[in-house]
Parts: sequence; structure tokens; C-alpha cells
Amino acid sequence: MNSTWLLYMFFAVGLIGIGIYALLTMKNLIKLFIGIEVIGKGVSLALLATGFAKGNILLAQSLVVTFIVVEVCMVATALALIINITKHTKSLDVRKLTKLRG
Amino acid sequence: MIFLYVGLPLIVAAILPLVGRLSKKFLPDILGNGVFLFLFAYAVTGGRSLIGAGPLTRTLNWFGEPLGIQLALDGFSLFMLATVALISLCVGLFSIDYMEHYGAKANYYSLLLMMVAGMNGLLLVTDLFQIYLFLEVAAVASYALVAFGREHEELEAAFKYLMLSAVASAAILLAVAVLFGMTGGVSFAVVSAGLRALDAKAAVGLVTALFLFGFGLKAALIPFHAWLPDAHPSAPAPISAILSGLLIKVSGVYAMTRVFFGVFGLTPALSQVLMWMGAVSIVVAALLALGQKDMKRMLAYSSISQVGYVVLGIGIGTPLGIAGGLFHLLNHAVAKSLLFLNSGSVQQATGTRNLDEMGGLAKRMPVTATTNLVGSLSIAGIPPLGGFWSKLLIIMALLQSRQGLLAVVAVLASVLTLWYYLIIQRRAFFGKLNERWAGIKEAPFWMAAATIVLAVLCLAFGVLFSSVISTWIQPAADVLAKGMGM
Amino acid sequence: MVLNIALLTGLVLFSALAVLARDLIKSAISLAVSSLLLGIVFFRMNAPFAGVFEISVVAGLITVLFILTIALTKSEGEVGESKAALWAFPIFFVVFIVIDALVMKGLMNKVPALPGAAESGAFGDVLWKQRTFDLIGQLAVILAGVFAVLALFRKRDNDNE
Repeated sequence: MNSTWLLYMFFAVGLIGIGIYALLTMKNLIKLFIGIEVIGKGVSLALLATGFAKGNILLAQSLVVTFIVVEVCMVATALALIINITKHTKSLDVRKLTKLRG
Repeated sequence: MIFLYVGLPLIVAAILPLVGRLSKKFLPDILGNGVFLFLFAYAVTGGRSLIGAGPLTRTLNWFGEPLGIQLALDGFSLFMLATVALISLCVGLFSIDYMEHYGAKANYYSLLLMMVAGMNGLLLVTDLFQIYLFLEVAAVASYALVAFGREHEELEAAFKYLMLSAVASAAILLAVAVLFGMTGGVSFAVVSAGLRALDAKAAVGLVTALFLFGFGLKAALIPFHAWLPDAHPSAPAPISAILSGLLIKVSGVYAMTRVFFGVFGLTPALSQVLMWMGAVSIVVAALLALGQKDMKRMLAYSSISQVGYVVLGIGIGTPLGIAGGLFHLLNHAVAKSLLFLNSGSVQQATGTRNLDEMGGLAKRMPVTATTNLVGSLSIAGIPPLGGFWSKLLIIMALLQSRQGLLAVVAVLASVLTLWYYLIIQRRAFFGKLNERWAGIKEAPFWMAAATIVLAVLCLAFGVLFSSVISTWIQPAADVLAKGMGM
Repeated sequence: MVLNIALLTGLVLFSALAVLARDLIKSAISLAVSSLLLGIVFFRMNAPFAGVFEISVVAGLITVLFILTIALTKSEGEVGESKAALWAFPIFFVVFIVIDALVMKGLMNKVPALPGAAESGAFGDVLWKQRTFDLIGQLAVILAGVFAVLALFRKRDNDNE
């Protein structure tokens, strides 16, 4: 049980790492949010793999389903924010968002 | 019945768009504030009898068949429910006048109700995953509320807030996954029993670190505070009030405390970490507050600093410390909301948040100036206001636990706090009336009323501190004290 | 097992592609493909419901939302990503993966776990009867999201700031 679980967690953490890299280096608002999405994939893989390894696959599935619903709502809100931002700055560049400092 | 805390705001929020078509302002105001008033009255009157015999767990039934809804109410959650209801009521009342010029009041109240529903849900659940879920409900509502005016500054702040908050939520969920893996369940009972049966220092350490990062970011503790000084000032004033007064405490401090005390138990190592994180937040944020010109930004840094006090108090782990931390949570919620609401009054009257542009507003806005003074002195810890007693309890608890250095830090930071609040009071309200503001008026009725209520409470909690502590704080502290040590 | 590892590797690669691609549409499509692969992985883990949800919602709905946003913001011009980010990625990735693997190896027998309890019932029972409050939470977050989008896209005629 342990080694299968760790194998899946290895991939899950890998995904989270890619997402974090995106957050640290990308300048495009949409790309930044894709980073968040990738982190979300990593987390849902972690949840489901844990359930699979413990034999509690049904519980893990309900958790993942709920998590996906939360993801969608967050994506909708974030993209709505991004669209509104582009109406102001006329650009998808996060470097234009520097009005607030200190 | 306690399901109403989540169900009622949810249902009213859902029907508000329809209601909003009939009546743009009147009905939404009434419905929104009506819900808050009901929840507050219920918490204050009926709540205590519910938990009289000990923590209450309700499993809901649907025509006889048990549903999978298990809600738990104990001293700690009741205390938080009452605080949430109180502050949301005052914020709602303030919004009656303030949100006039934003428009879309029905939509605003829907979002506000959803945030309250999310917070209440978080307070009532018995399950780690559901803490995450309702935390997200409140968070999604808050992203939209911060950006409600859709100006550049607000959108920028909301976006940064969203990004950081999403990473924190992911960390929390990852920790839940690991605990699930170790213990086979996600409810408090299963996980804490499982952890007691296992001996997993390293894994528990990892999970604790993830929770500290996730909940710490939600509570805006240093070094995870970066989003707050942008988000809280840019949001409309009532939203700043509810974010600083409630959300960082419910989704940050409460969630962290509930998980650490109820599931892990407060080990000495964890206690040290919490105390030092609290102390660092107190000092660094207070210093950062000093250099601010924007009134709301100064208040935002102050929130970070005061939450540090709360975490410090709770982290001490002794009954006195926990009581002090929780009492400070209440005092800060009341006083900080008051201060942010006042900043809204000022912003509405003068159009600016820059302290350098203000001056002598007390002459034209006496109510606002007085309530602001009361709130400031309470947070700074001046007797006989509430904040004095809560800070005193924390300092006494520190001395009792022989944490002399931290006690000194707490006292000195208090002086700093007083200093920067007096800066606000002096620059904005006292002194000569700036020519530009000769024609401004005092805040409209509901705005002034909300702030007066909060100011009176600041005073009341101070004067009546012993009865407040014995009826509300002590039951909460007792619940936590049971979760001490492993 | 080998197929699983292949699928998981594909998932990681397409996610990396999604992050690094210069063209936003290619980025969105890569994200959709990686969601598809993740859904298949879920199926192979005896989690058909999660798999269906992943494919239809994440690979479907979220991709549509992304493409909609990309289309609505297309006129705003290119954002020059730094070339350094592109070239630094392989190094970062390799280092990260190595550390990841070492940590997982190190945790090999260090994470104690209770034996899993047998699960009974069907998925429907678990979701509707045992985790009912999760459904209320889902309803709440959907409402919050709907109101958020409504608030952010409302018409400007009432605003007289």
C-alpha cells in the first residue's frame, strides 16, 4: 500500500511543483491562473490516490467531485476578474498591476 | 435548528436576485439585515441553552431518514457564531447607506449573505474537508466583494488576493489528503483518534507545516500577509470591515485553532511556533503601519498586528492565555470593523483616504471622530475599553508561563499601536479643519448608527469585561483547554 | 501499472506544456489534454465518477471558460514572457523531480497508516447520504460563484460614482 501511494504522491507533488513554477515565473494573467489549475490537478490526484491506496475510493471520489465543483466556481470568478482587469489595463500583463505597493 | 445558520443566509441570498427586480433598495436592505438580526438574536438568546449540557451534535433528519449532515455546536463555535452575527449585522446596517453609490444592492447582499453562510458553515462542521469547503464558499464571495466597485485598484487587489488564497487552500487540502492517508477518514473524530493510535512525528510535522502555511495565509500572519494590505483598503469600507473583523479570524484563526487543538492537540513545539509567529506579526506589522499615508492601509497593517496578539494568546495554551486571545478576537472584531466603517464614512464625505489631505474633520463629523477615538483606544489597549482587558490577560498569561521576553514585546507593541492610532486620529480628525472639507456633512443615519453601536460595545465589553468573559469567553476557552497536549 | 505510469507521465508533461506554451490557445488545449489523461487515470483507479467529472467538467467546462476568456482578451496584445523562464524550466523541473523522488523514497516506511476500513454501499449512497453537507457546500459555492460573476459583469447604468 505504501509504495503505490507514494508513487502517486510523487506525481501529484510534481504537478504542484509545475504549478508553483508557473506562479513564480509567468507574467501573463491567464498563464498564472493555469498554474493554479495545475496545482488543483495535483491536489485532486493526491486525494484520489490516497483513497485508492486505503481502499476508501468512494469517500475519495466524493471529495474529489466536490473539489472539482469548487474549482469551477473559482475559475469562473478568477476569469471574470481577469476580463475586468483587461478592460482597465488593456493588457494581460501582470506587470501592469503595480498600482498597489508597500 | 442550527442548520439555519447556513440555510437561512443561503436561501435568502438565492431569492434576492428575484426580489431585487421588484425593489432595488428597500427589500434587499430589509431582507439582508433581517437575516443578520435573526442570527444574532438566536445566537445570543437560544444559543447558550443549547450547549448548556455540553457540546451539541445535531444529525439532521429528512422525514425520518438520517441525512449526512452533522453539525456540532460548542462554546467555541457559539462564541464565534455570535461574533459573526454581530459584526455582519453592523456591516449590513452600514451598507444600507454606503452601498448606495455602488448600485446593485441585491447582488451585494447576496454575496454578503453567502460569505456569512460560508463562515457559519465553517464554524459548525465536524469534518476537515468541510472546513476547506466552506472556507472556499466564503472566499469566493469575498473575491467578488473586494472587487465590487470594479475600479482598477480593487480588481488588482482582488486578483492578488485570489491567487495567494488559492495556493493556501491547496496547501490545506494537501494536508487533509495526507491525514486521510494516515487515518482513513476526514472527520475530526476519526482523524484525532487515528493520530493518537499512530506515532507519526515526521508526518504530523509535515501536515502541521502545511496547515500553518494555509491557515496562516488566511489569517494574514507574517510572512504570509502580502495580500491583506492591498485587499482590505481597496475593498468597499463595509467589506474591509467584515474581512478584517471576521473573515481572517474565522477562516484563519478559528480554523487553525480548531484543527490544532481538536485534532492534533497543542504540543509544546506547536505552542512555541504559534507564539513566535504571533509575536513577529505583532511587531513587524506595527512597524509597517507607521509608515503608511493611506488610512485604510494603516488599519490593514494593524489588523495583521492584532491577529498576531490573538494567535499569541491562543498559542500560550494556558486557560488564561486562550481566554485572553479569544477576548482580543472579539474586541478587535468590534473595534476594527468600527474603524474601517469610519474610514468609509470619511471616504464618502471627503473622497480620499490619504491622511495628509485630511485635517480637523472632527469639527464637521463629530460622531465619526468620537467613535473612531473609542475604537482606536480600545485596540491600543487603553482602559476601561475592551482591548485593555484582553491585552492584559494575554500579558498576564505570558508572565505566568515565564515568557518574559514576549510579554515585554507585547507591551512595547501596544505602545506602538497607540502611537499610530493617534497619528490617524490627529491627522484626520483633530487639528485645524482643512479648507476643502468646510462643506462636508456627518455620515448618514445608518452608517452613523452602526458605528455608534460598535463604539458602545467597545466600551461595554471593557466595563463589563468580567461578565463577558464568564458567559462567552470562558466556555470557549474551556472547549479548547480540553484539547491540550497529546 | 506500466500504463498508469505512462498516463501519469503524460499528465505531467502536458501540464508543463500548458504552462510553457507561448500561444494561449495551445496552453488551454494542453491543459484539456492533461485533464483527459487525469480522468483516464481516475478510471483506472476504480473511480469512474471522479473520472467522468474530471473529463466533463475540467477538460470540458473549464477549458471552454479559458478559451472564452482568451477570446475576449485577444485584442490586448501579446505578453512577452521572459525567455529565461522557458529555458530555466527543464533545470528546475529535473531538480524538483529528483528531490521529490528522494523525499518519497525517504518516506517509504516512515508514514504510518491505519489499515483501511472496508467500504460499503454505492457511490450514490456515500455522496448523498453520508456526505450530504458537502452537497450543501457545493450549492453554496456555486451560488457564490454565480453571484460573483453577476457582480463582476453587471451593467454600469446604476453606477454614478
